[in-house]
Amino acid sequence: MVTGMPDDIDVTVMLFASLKEAAGTDRLQIRVPAATPVGAVWAHLPEPIRSTAPPTALRYALNDRWIAPGTPMSGGDRVALILPVSGG
Amino acid sequence: MALVSLRHDPLRVDELIAATAGPDHGGIAVFIGTTRRDADRTEVVALEYEAYEELALAELEAVAAEAEALGARVAISHRLGRVAVGEASIAIVAAAAHRPAAFAACRLAIDEAKRRAPIWKRTVHADGTAVWRDGVSAPVS
Repeated sequence: MVTGMPDDIDVTVMLFASLKEAAGTDRLQIRVPAATPVGAVWAHLPEPIRSTAPPTALRYALNDRWIAPGTPMSGGDRVALILPVSGG
Repeated sequence: MALVSLRHDPLRVDELIAATAGPDHGGIAVFIGTTRRDADRTEVVALEYEAYEELALAELEAVAAEAEALGARVAISHRLGRVAVGEASIAIVAAAAHRPAAFAACRLAIDEAKRRAPIWKRTVHADGTAVWRDGVSAPVS
């Protein structure tokens, strides 16, 4: 069993479009210190993604709502990384 | 409540019209976005759409509500998955008492849906290559 620090939390990262393709999955489970801001998720993505700079236009959603990158996460949260959209 | 949907099968504009039109409406504006055979590099044969469905539906509902505030009844339907050249990827219907409100609501709805809804497309080319339009692999437009 893998154990982390007592205040570590597990969160789900949702990936779409080329991020999903690069990661080879649309969902990642990561363990981070409690209250880690959503904007810090990029550093927990698999290689080679995390070695590149996050796109400047990257936005975030937390549990299906738009959120600022400084918002702290709680255990069980779902964080979505939203690249520039191209629907329509 | 505005009528908003994401669907994996062909869009049904007749259903959107039936759901929005009423006896007090004197005009219905319809916008249909279709896959264009763009050939900047190699010919495009299809677009493939995917969505963050929960947030896309919420965002499209917010867009439709803003469009309805202009005095129209509005429906938005976006297709997901593969959309071949000539097929519809998005349909917007705005029914209103008079055409200015119908056109204005339809225009607002398509512009804001494209700008805000977390939906992405990738272009599938005749040579078998495919490119996501998400600002990373390629520009969004």
